[in-house]
Parts: sequence; structure tokens; C-alpha cells
Amino acid sequence: MHHPDCRNITRKAMWPGIPIVRSFSFALLFFSISLFSAQLLAEETRGYVVSMVHTATYYDELTCPDGTNGSRPDVLIRRVMADGYDREEAVRIVSNIRTNGGRDDEGNLVGSAIVLGGGASFSGDQSWNDFDFNPANVPSVLPDPNAHNAQGRYMLGLNLDGETGPNSWEHPITGETGIDNEMWRVLGCWDVYYVNKPINPYNEGIAWDTAIDAMPAWLISISGEDLSQDGEVTVTFDRALNIPLRDAYGSIMTGASFAVDPNPRSHSEFKGQIKDRILTIEPGDFYMQGESQFYPHLQFSGTQLRFELKEDGSMEGHIGGYQPWRDYYHYLSVRGETDGMIDLIGIFYDLKKYADALPDPQTGENTAISSAYFFEAVPAFHVDDAGNLLADSVGPGPKFSGPAVSQYSNSEQ
Amino acid sequence: MKFRATSLSKIVFAALLLSVAPHTLLAAENSADEQITFVRLTSDQYRNSIRDIFGESIEVSGNAASTGVREAGLMAVGGRRLTLSAAEVESYEVLALDISSQVLSPSRRATLLPCTPQNEDAVDNACASEFISRVGLHLFRRPLSQEEVDTYAAMAQSATESLGDFYVGLQSALVGMMVSPDFLFRIERSVPNPEQPGTRRLDAWSRASRLSFFLWDTTPNPALLEAARNGDLMFEDGLNQQVDQMMASSRIEDGLRAFFADMLAFDRFDTLDIDTNLFPKFTKNVEDEAREQTLRTISHHLLNNNADYRELFDSRETFLTPALAALYGVPIPIRQELGGRVPWVAYTYPEDHVRVGLLGQATFLSLFSHPGASSPTLRGKAVREHLLCQTIPPPPGDVDFSLVRDGNHPDLRTVRDRLRLHRENPTCAGCHMLMDPIGLALEIFDASGVYRTMENDVEIDTTGQWAGQEYTDVRELATLLKDDPTLTSCLVQRAYNYGTAREPNRAEVQWLNATHSQLRNEGVRWRELMLRISKNPDFYTVPDAATN
Repeated sequence: MHHPDCRNITRKAMWPGIPIVRSFSFALLFFSISLFSAQLLAEETRGYVVSMVHTATYYDELTCPDGTNGSRPDVLIRRVMADGYDREEAVRIVSNIRTNGGRDDEGNLVGSAIVLGGGASFSGDQSWNDFDFNPANVPSVLPDPNAHNAQGRYMLGLNLDGETGPNSWEHPITGETGIDNEMWRVLGCWDVYYVNKPINPYNEGIAWDTAIDAMPAWLISISGEDLSQDGEVTVTFDRALNIPLRDAYGSIMTGASFAVDPNPRSHSEFKGQIKDRILTIEPGDFYMQGESQFYPHLQFSGTQLRFELKEDGSMEGHIGGYQPWRDYYHYLSVRGETDGMIDLIGIFYDLKKYADALPDPQTGENTAISSAYFFEAVPAFHVDDAGNLLADSVGPGPKFSGPAVSQYSNSEQ
Repeated sequence: MKFRATSLSKIVFAALLLSVAPHTLLAAENSADEQITFVRLTSDQYRNSIRDIFGESIEVSGNAASTGVREAGLMAVGGRRLTLSAAEVESYEVLALDISSQVLSPSRRATLLPCTPQNEDAVDNACASEFISRVGLHLFRRPLSQEEVDTYAAMAQSATESLGDFYVGLQSALVGMMVSPDFLFRIERSVPNPEQPGTRRLDAWSRASRLSFFLWDTTPNPALLEAARNGDLMFEDGLNQQVDQMMASSRIEDGLRAFFADMLAFDRFDTLDIDTNLFPKFTKNVEDEAREQTLRTISHHLLNNNADYRELFDSRETFLTPALAALYGVPIPIRQELGGRVPWVAYTYPEDHVRVGLLGQATFLSLFSHPGASSPTLRGKAVREHLLCQTIPPPPGDVDFSLVRDGNHPDLRTVRDRLRLHRENPTCAGCHMLMDPIGLALEIFDASGVYRTMENDVEIDTTGQWAGQEYTDVRELATLLKDDPTLTSCLVQRAYNYGTAREPNRAEVQWLNATHSQLRNEGVRWRELMLRISKNPDFYTVPDAATN
């Protein structure tokens, strides 16, 4: 299902995170000056470290009226059936895949249906029928499996274009209309994404849980005259030079210190405002480098966010924008179908199908898709490389944060 | 030849019996006047000794010594009361088997053995005896008698003949020495004191051990053993020269750390069980780092800065890791590299910061808390007992603590309220009046050391009185504590007792009082204190039972 009326943003197709920095020193100076000037103007700057990130998820009875696409075993069964086996045979072959080597009762090799499990980086037998490479690397060589897509009325996200169109969603909590999140149509009916808070989408939750113990942290700061009141603020995103700490729950430890990476590559700055403890920003470009197996980077055009500032000093909400859809395919294909628990080929076709922004000037094909991500951030100190305080850590933070939330918060209820 | 643990183990047990026998004989042969003192090595002293005798590459995996007993405020004094249970002997044997197999491994033989056997499959008594003599000097911290050398050589011979391997045979002798009381205990022997007829003093070898374990927390090095052998340690000049050389070494820090770990009751870390459900920032890493923070702060202050001991209690200078800084809620410069070591940074709290000195560190605050809550009583008791050398008697057996522990009491919202009511019991009031006011000033720190201002939505009151003087918070309490002469006299006394592993006799108390008075005027500096104790002739006298 294409969306010709989707908001084709006619901005220059250059991603914000790939600036050509000819002089790092100049960039560093510029960054330092801009940070310094922000500090001078602001009465107060609060620091945060991002404790959880994942694709925004939401479902209700309207989301997948025809059922979900299931998970990894369902993908495999459908593939085996596409090779001419009936369902009973397909289930038997897939169920015994660890012992039958991907062969049917007559010993014929059907294991080719399985190999996508390792993803594009799978190091084993990557042949697929007559191809001697993994089709996940060139997914268009296979037909679209026509997976179910999310429907309904409600979805989390942001109104990126300020309009309400036929494909817009309605925010299930705020009631805001015009929510742009075509990414959800692609993902929403896969079991792994078909979850509501406090459950995280399994594949991304695991990836983030693993990554944050080795990946330089992602930082947010808010500067303003009095952050306890409504008013204009400046919001920055930066990458840290150090990794987050964990507490005994596995939550991200609040009140920790992070050195802000002076490299401007992952620095994004937005004008914003706080109103009734809700933080929003004016649209802009966002880029954050990661070292996660899921997020080697995260980038949006037309970025917006809506974070709730909580009494304990933390904040959470959604950030979104128009994201290169091939980025997302890359995230999933690197993880592979076994970890991703999706049909990579189907995801590829759907991402391409629902992409709704930044048309390629040559082909006219949209290169970006509207999307939204859940962000949670807890209080943290930001310091520069000389140890000077850039942002204060305010508040004790939540009892559970980050990957610990879905593990513990249910038991608290 | 492959290592045969079972056969060797049998031989080692025989060795143990043999090793105890000469010691018993030795005691019996000595005159009735001689006092022989046994002080069991601590785990750290055992490890340090192995490191210094055989090299840093030898791994000591495990810990054979059980937790000791605290006597007169120190585990070191309690060490005199310790014996070895059968289970501990077995643990030491397992440890010794592992260490000896490393020492005699093919890759280390060339450097650690003074000779090469003529035939690796056969007995070589000359080579075995040479090894036993050399290693025995360091293990026993004295020369072995010919009888002892012959005994261990016979052990090696027997094992070699049974097992057909010179090195395995030698290993049996080495294990025998390592499970001997002569190694596992610091045995102090005395000789008549010609300067004070009728009294006794430590012999030269015992002096070497006392000095080395006191100042460096390890076995005597070759220079010290040589000074013992040639008799220098029995004379003032020779003794002082060795003391000066030891004090100039960086290894003095090992001794300082061992002493303060003992004085500040770090043995409580072994059983520390702060509930991480309630205090999630207090992870095992944070616990370890808190321990190191305290020792690093003390060491830097007393050794690097040669500063006054009293300043440790209101100093704003310390060292932090990222996790400790998060626990304390302060920002620090980040030096962390991925995969690197824990990055310690020197840190100075701001002028108006409430966290000062040793009492504001997570070590003290957590060690003297209950698993689920802070305890003004435990903290106050710890200050009295560990820092002021005072004794607080245990509570009577029939006291009802339910009210004090009722953190959900609807009317008594704070522990101050509950303790106030508890003190209405006259049986409890006397001791609690001594303990609680100190601890209540520290109530702004929870059981993990995290700063807080409220308890059950009631603002925490940190006021109190110390020796008739009012204080409003822990900073003022620290200043009053710092100025109290009991604080410094306690340090002087504990340091002396730590070295002698006993309480002082009457003459020594006089010397301690005089030294304390002088140091309070001149500055209570660790190096000076250690020098004075180490050079004090009384430090090496052996008080008789009547005066001790």
C-alpha cells in the first residue's frame, strides 16, 4: 500500500550526521563556543543520560485485525510451505530443524529456507536455492511475502508535518491527531513489536541492554532560566566519552558523571519549550552515533520530541522524525532473523513501500520513513574533558530505568 | 613425572606432624623464663609473604585463614589467641600444594632453585638441603637448625624415593614447611635483656619479623634478615638504620593500609550485606571501591602529604571513582577509557558540601549500618570503640528493640524519635547517650552512604552535643571530634598494640601518653608515630605475665 499523499519533504537529501568536517579543530572551537554561550545565557542546565531507547510500540484490538505475522517459526513455516510443502510437513521440518539439517522426510534439502536466520552477517552456509549468497544482502531478489501491516486508529509518535492526513494516527494518550509513524505500519504486526509498556520490543531491548555496557552513552541537556517553570529552553543531544554505570537492579545509575564528546558529529541542538512538564522542540536535524549492534547510528530529519519531565528528575517520551529506511533495514539485517524474529524480506519490501519522505532526486523514490522512538533519560552530570561542570544532575531518578524496567516494574505492581 | 596429589598429600600430612614436633621440642627446651608468642599471619600477610619469597608471578588462589577475633579493638591483638583447626590446616595444605607446584614448575626451577639435581628421577640430598635451608630462612623468618634441615630433607628423600621425581619430593618438603606453625604463625622468641637485668627482650630474628609485619605487613626482606643475622637489630644504631630504610620505602603504604583496615574494622566487609533492593547504588563494585577510597584517602593524606591524622576527619579531599561519585551525588572529571582500569580521580568537595572526612565515606557509613537501614547506634558505637578506644558494653539480653526498629511507626517517624523513647528505659539510657548523638548527626547518610534530607517525609535533625558543645551537623561534629585528644591517643595506642599484638604494660602506657602529648603539639603524623614506636626499645621488650 503506497501513500502518494505522504508528506514528501523537499529538503536537501543530505543527512545531518554526515557533516564534512574539514577542520576538526575549527569544529571543536565552534562547539565549545556554542556550548559556552548556551551556558552563559541559561540560568540552569540539567543533564541526563539516555537509559532506554527502542522503536515506539503500541497496540490495541484495531492494530492487527487480521492477526499478527507471528514470529521466527511462523516465518520459517511459511517459507517451507512456499517451497511446496503442506503445513503439517512444514511444521515438522521446522520443529526438527536442529536435528534434520533442514531436510524433509525424504532427505531433500529444504534448509535453504532457514539460512536467513543468521542475517546478512551469518558466517555459515548462506546459499538460498540457486543463489550462493544470503538474500538478506540483496532482498529484492526474492518476492514480497506480503506480511500483515499495522492498521487502526492509534499509535504513538509525533505530528511531523503539522497536518492530519488519511494515513495519520491519533496519539492514544494525548489524543493528538496527525501522528506520523509509517514505520509502525511496517513493524506493528510482528509479535516482537506487538507489545505495550512496560514490555520492550524484545530484540531491541536485548540489543540496548547489551550495548550500553560497552557503548559511549547518549546524553541530553536542557538549559533554561528556570526549568521548574514553563518557558523557552535549549535542548542538546551529545555522545559521551564514557559508558553508563549500572546499579544493582541493572538500571542505569543516576547521578553519574559523563564527559561530553567534543567531536561535533553527534551534537544536535534544538530550541524548545517546557509547558506543563512536557518538553517539546522545534523541528531540526538529529544525528547520534552509536556502537550498538542495533543502532550504529540514529538519525532523523524534521526531528520532534515530546518528553514528560518527571518528579523524580527523569524524563521519558518519544522522539521521531524522518529516518532513512535503509538504516532500519540494516539494523534488522545485522541482527538477523533469529534475533530480530521478523521476515527480513518482508520488512524490506514494507519499509520501501511505506517510506514517506525525502525522495531521491533521480528516482523519486522516498528514502526516509516517518518513525518514532521511545527514549528514557535519567539525571546525570555532564562535564567537559577538563572536568568542568556543564550540566547538573537533578533528582534521584526512578527506581527502575533502562532495561530493568520491563524486568522489575511488573513485580512492583 | 606427573603430579600425584594423593600420594603427596599423605606425605604432607606426615610432614605436618613432623613440623609441629620440632617446635614443641623447641618450646620444651627453652628455659622456664622464656615466653614464646604465636601470632597467626593474616590472609594478607600470608599472600604478601608468598609474593615476596617466591615472586609476584606465584598465584595464591584462595584464602585458608578463617576470620580472626578482635581483641582490645584489633584483630592483630586477637591474632595471639588464634590456633589452627583441622579444617584450616587442610586448607593451608591445599594452598601450599598449589603454590609449591608453581614454585617448582619447570619454568621457575632455574630461577627459584639454588641448585640442579644430578638426576631428576633420584634423590639428591645436597641440593634438597640447600633449597630447604635457603627457602626455610625466608619462610620461618629465621635460619633452620640442622635438625630441621635434615628433617625436611628426609621428607623430600622419602617422597622422591616413593614417587621417583626429585622435584615432587622437594615439593613435599616445601609443603611441609608451608604448613608448619613456624610459617603460619609469627613466632616471637625472647632472650635476657642485659640492659634491664631480670627482663627479657625479643631476639634479633623476632625483631626482624615484628618490624617487617608492623611496617610493611610482610615477611622480612633479605636486608632485614641479614641485620638480624649479624646482630645489628639488637643495637640501637643498627635497629634505627633498618627502621629508617624501611620507612623510606614505598612499602610503608602496605603497612599503613593493613593497620587502618584493622583499626577501622574492615573485617566487617566480609559479612557486609547492605540490601541492594533498598540501596541499589551499593553494588559489589561500589563496596570494593568504597573500601579502596578510604585506604587511598588515608594513605595519600598521611604518607604523601605527611599531614596530621586529625585532619582526616574534616578533610574535603578524597579520591573517587565514577560509581562512588554517583553514590555521593557529585560530578567528577571522567578519565575512563573503555575496558580500562577503574579510574580514580582526586576530588575535593566544595566548601559548603556536607560530606567531609572519613565519617562521610561509604565505608564507615555502610559498615556500621543494618542491611536495610542506617543505625545511629552502630555508627555512634563505632566512633566510640574504633576511633576513641572506648568500650561500650553489649545490651542486656532482655531489651525489647521492636520500637527502635519499627520504621513504619505512625507517630515516631524518625529514628531520632524512636531512640529518644528507647532511652527512657534507664537500662538503655547510659550507653545510648554515648552512642546515639554521634550517629544521629550521620543520619543524613543512608545505609549505603547516599545523602538524604528526609526520613519518612520528616526533615532529618542532625543537631547534638559533643563533650558539652553543641553541633548542628556532621561537619561541626567532625571538627569537635578532631579536636578531642581521645581521638589521637587512641591512634597512638592502637598503632603500638598493633605492632606488639598485645595491650601495653604500665611502663609502655607511660611512654604512649608522653608520646601522644608530644605528637599533639608537633602534629600527629603517621611517619613520625611509626618511627617513634619502631625505635622505642620498649617495643621489643617482653613483659612478664605479672606486668602485662
